[in-house]
Amino acid sequence: MEPIIVTRDLKKVYRLGKVDVQALRGVDCTVHEGELVAVVGPSGCGKSTLLHILGGLTGPTSGDVLVDGNDFSKMTDADRTRFRRHTIGFVFQRFNLLPTLTARNNIAIAQDIQGNGFNPHRFQAVVEMLGIQAKLDHRPFALSGGEQQRVAIARAVICEPKILLADEPTGNLDTENSQSVLNMLRDLNRSFGQTILMITHNPEAAAVADRIIRMRDGRIVSD
Amino acid sequence: MINKLIVSNILHRPIRTVVSALAVAIEVAMVMLFVGLCHGIVNESAQRLEGVGADIMVQPPGASFLLAFSQAPMPVKIGDRLKEIPHVLAVAPVLFNFNSSGGLNIIYGIDMPSFDRVTGGFVYHDGGPFQNPYDILVDDLYARANHIKVGQTISLLNHEFHVCGIVEHGKGARLFIPMSTAEDLLQVQDKASIFFVKCTEPGYTDEVSDAIHQLLQKYQVSPVKEWMSLMTSNNLPALNAFITVIVAIAVGIGFLVIFLSMYTTITERTREIGILKSLGASKGYIIAVILREAGLLTAVGIIVGYLIAAVARKAILGAFPTLSIELTMEWALYAAILALAGSTLGAFYPALRAAQLDPVDALAYE
Repeated sequence: MEPIIVTRDLKKVYRLGKVDVQALRGVDCTVHEGELVAVVGPSGCGKSTLLHILGGLTGPTSGDVLVDGNDFSKMTDADRTRFRRHTIGFVFQRFNLLPTLTARNNIAIAQDIQGNGFNPHRFQAVVEMLGIQAKLDHRPFALSGGEQQRVAIARAVICEPKILLADEPTGNLDTENSQSVLNMLRDLNRSFGQTILMITHNPEAAAVADRIIRMRDGRIVSD
Repeated sequence: MINKLIVSNILHRPIRTVVSALAVAIEVAMVMLFVGLCHGIVNESAQRLEGVGADIMVQPPGASFLLAFSQAPMPVKIGDRLKEIPHVLAVAPVLFNFNSSGGLNIIYGIDMPSFDRVTGGFVYHDGGPFQNPYDILVDDLYARANHIKVGQTISLLNHEFHVCGIVEHGKGARLFIPMSTAEDLLQVQDKASIFFVKCTEPGYTDEVSDAIHQLLQKYQVSPVKEWMSLMTSNNLPALNAFITVIVAIAVGIGFLVIFLSMYTTITERTREIGILKSLGASKGYIIAVILREAGLLTAVGIIVGYLIAAVARKAILGAFPTLSIELTMEWALYAAILALAGSTLGAFYPALRAAQLDPVDALAYE
């Protein structure tokens, strides 16, 4: 398998007031296509920053980030946005569904933003796979946490992204729903070869991954 | 899909939607009503003067083309010389009196026989011509506005007048008193503020005007058609300035309300903007969402504004029948364009700010 994510000496420094915070202090990692990788580590170790950089939400301070052959460190914000639209799907701990839209429209808006129009066959296949057919006309406030996360996963994969980045996807779910979401992520990975990079605190969540990357103080300590 | 997002956002915040649309509606209604009122009053007073039926007006030197400001009297004997000019059918001297109690009114002091010859005579809704010096004729709109009936006494110019008749509106003024009474009140003798001249045929207007010019070189001789063309808001600089100020205030209100509405919306929806960005929404997409949302609010406001203007016009004319409000398609269009321009401008900065939000910060926003 080809590497789909490569980082070399990746550093990120945030400025908080007059203080520089080194979130990443030289991260080198490689993720291959079709892998399910878990990134674990204590709070503040830089996991989320790594995920945001890999998703193109923010740029690195220094170092190289190659995602599907594209060097994020040399791309503008607009270029990264365009790339993200076609290549990356996000799943968040807090689901991050648009509260005014129904589940159906929350999923469809990803296709709209991608610009390829609504694909009913893909839509049907995804909602069936995630078992949310009966909830499509509900707004997020009328869905349980597990249902919201399934809608969020549907939204993330509807455009067939090459990489799915999941930020603590089970962090707001009970055990049963956590397991259900983890099973879905694993199925996506096994059945469709979906590359998934998942940040988690949860050892059970990490256990479903092919690889576990451990981080501490902005560095990878084991892989 | 973007439309669904916009509509759902608008429906999700009904109070904000109602307030924003109402502000735009007030802006549109304000523009239409104020402009309509200005144009209505100018046009109505011009039409009333045209309704006298004269072809030419003769005023003393230095008189304003705004007749209401021209009280300066001329010798009434001039009328006899005007009558001698070929193709002059009738000449009616009128002496203006101004009444400022209960609103500014111009009262025509008329010589009934000559005024009737020029105008073709009053159409009486009730009562009849003057019988006594302190008789007064009022037009139907003034009578309706002030609940006046024939036989009633009304107080004007510090005198009591007996209403002897109610006449059809459109003969220059709304109130008419005998010429001799007007002279007594102004303490002048054999004077007139204006002469209305009627030609035997309207085609002789220019010829008669030239003859009057020859006869009364320093006097102002205005063919009524020419005067009518001058009686537009474009020729009334103060009115134009007033309209401009009112329009600017109205647009300012719309701009500020939409600006505030969209600005608070952006703050409220920071996280949602972060979500759109995480999905790959470009700056253009975010700006389009905000501007189209403001556009939809404005469109609703414009329609409601038209309704408010129509209802307010009916209510105002019901309460003040002597007023005239012209709601024109032209100004309806201008008001809509101004509202759209104001709200687009008002929404643009918030939209730009939303587009420039850092996606990581926006997603972390509580």
